[in-house]
Parts: sequence; structure tokens; C-alpha cells
Amino acid sequence: MGIQDIIEGKKQWRAHMARVKALPPDYQIVYKEIQRYIFKVGPIDLLDGSLLSGILDFFEEGVAAGKGVLELIGNDVAAFCDDLIKDSRTYADVYQESISGKPGTAEK
Amino acid sequence: MNFWETMTGSDLTREWKAFEARAEALPADHRAAWEEIKGHLSLYSDFTGRNLMPILDNALGLLEETASDGQGIHEVLGDDIEGFCAALAGGEGARSHRDRWREQLNRNVAKKLSRPGG
Amino acid sequence: MDDLTEMLKGTLEGCVLEIIGSEETYGYAITRRLNELGFADVVEGTVYTILLRLERNGLVQAAKRPSGLGPPRKFYALNDAGREELATFWSKWEYITSRIDKLKEGGR
Repeated sequence: MGIQDIIEGKKQWRAHMARVKALPPDYQIVYKEIQRYIFKVGPIDLLDGSLLSGILDFFEEGVAAGKGVLELIGNDVAAFCDDLIKDSRTYADVYQESISGKPGTAEK
Repeated sequence: MNFWETMTGSDLTREWKAFEARAEALPADHRAAWEEIKGHLSLYSDFTGRNLMPILDNALGLLEETASDGQGIHEVLGDDIEGFCAALAGGEGARSHRDRWREQLNRNVAKKLSRPGG
Repeated sequence: MDDLTEMLKGTLEGCVLEIIGSEETYGYAITRRLNELGFADVVEGTVYTILLRLERNGLVQAAKRPSGLGPPRKFYALNDAGREELATFWSKWEYITSRIDKLKEGGR
């Protein structure tokens, strides 16, 4: 599922957003902010689509357990996100590598 | 070959047209931001089109997603689109921008969660 | 004890491997175990990101099982690569602690 597919209202994405809308308000707020941050950072893992749906699975479990969203992931939401994508290269990394001709020189 | 030739004169044309079609559907503010983003990214002299495609895709995706969510463009990108583009491409100063996104994320969450009813 | 986050960072993954190694278990139970151990600041989100990485790096076997209420739970068990990683973790841990103890005792 590419980002383009995600956005163009493909069936999968609509189903995904329907799940988001079914979450309690606090979860929805945090989910949307997380998604926005991840879009900016651009981890290439985003392409396989399991990153975002994995977060939703996890959030749904938290809801079922009766937890608040910050109780579940902690107050530092950005740290949670960075941990999520720690091992993934970003599109910026790929670009920097392509212009320098060697991997590993992109600013981390 | 410059940015526009690269974009319009190669196998990327189809992809590029798809981008433009998507941009057409954006509200005016967001479309203006898209034009500005393209302008800034075109300054990357070593830009070959292929390697920046996913980055453009991401930026456009962000605009689409926030537009459908009713968010103002300022709220999304701040007032420094040039810096935003540098961060997208991972160039100089990318780290400080990522720090800013990080702060923005936590600030937004704190702000929105404290508001009754979201 | 408060404010252990930074110091714990590199070792938490090993702790999670150890917990999974003793029996097949799931995220919430792992978090509870760490909390009971005295790491009160560890939230489920932290454990989630670790489990995601372990799975991606092929160190654990994951299986979804229905839970009493709510969405299915993901259970994790170590595979051979995971057991190897765990052994490496403990030998590194022993090395580091022995060096640091030595430092503290003023030895060389």
C-alpha cells in the first residue's frame, strides 16, 4: 500500500480510516498526530502498510483494556514514534545516499 | 537537464501527471503550498527526479491528509516551507527540523487532549 | 526509582527477550512483569516498539490468539536466533557490569 494508494481513497485506506474513527477521541487525536509525523519523516517501511495498521491493532487492544492513550504509550509520543521507526531508513536517507553515491552518509 | 525537463521529459511523466492531478483536488491554500514545495525541491541541483519522487509523494500525501482533516496549512507546515523541504530531503539542518516536528507532535497532542471533546 | 529511561534504553530489549524466553507471552503481560520488577516507567508502548523490532529482525515467533474480550492478542515466543541473541545480551551485560564494578571499586 503506497502513500498514494493510502490517500486516494482506495478501499484498504478507507477501511483503515474507519477503524481510526471507531477509536475513542483521545486515541483518535494521538493516532492522527502520529500518522502526520510519520508522513513527514518518511520511513520507507511506510510502504508495506503494516506500520500504521500495527499501531491501530495496538491501540484497539489498549481501548479494550480500558486504558487511556497516554497511559498506553507514555507522555512522550514523539519518542514512541521514533522507537517505532528506529530501524527504518527514510526517503531522505535514500535521497542523500543517491546523491553522495554511498550509503550511510545521510544526516541521521 | 533541469528539474522540469527531468520531470516532463522522461518516464516519470506519467507519475508526474498523477501528482498534478492529485494537487488539483487540493484546497487553494494547500495547492499553493504544493507549488512552493515543488519550487524549493527543484533547487536541489542533483535532483534526478527518480530519487525525490517518494519524497514528493510523501509531501503531497501530507497535504492531502491534512486537507481532508480540515487543518490549515500553517498548522501543518509552520511558516518555513523552505526549511520543511530541506528536512524532507534530509539535507543540512534536517536534524533540527526533525526535532521541531517532534516538539510539534508532543505539543499538538498535549493541546488537543486538554481540550474537552477533542 | 525514577528517571531510569535513558540508562535502561539499551538493556530493555534484552529484558524483553529474557521474559519471552521463559514462556510464550504477550505485550501487556511483559509490561506488567517489568513494572513489578521495579521499572515503573515502562509503558506498553515501549514494549510494543521493542516487540515490533524483535519480530522484524526475526528473533521471535508471533502468533495471534483470540482473547477473552476485545481484539485477538499477539503472543511471542523465542526462536533459535532469539535464543542466540539473548545469550549474547547476557554475555555483554556481564562484561559491562564487571568492568563498571571494577571501576567503582577503584581497581584497574
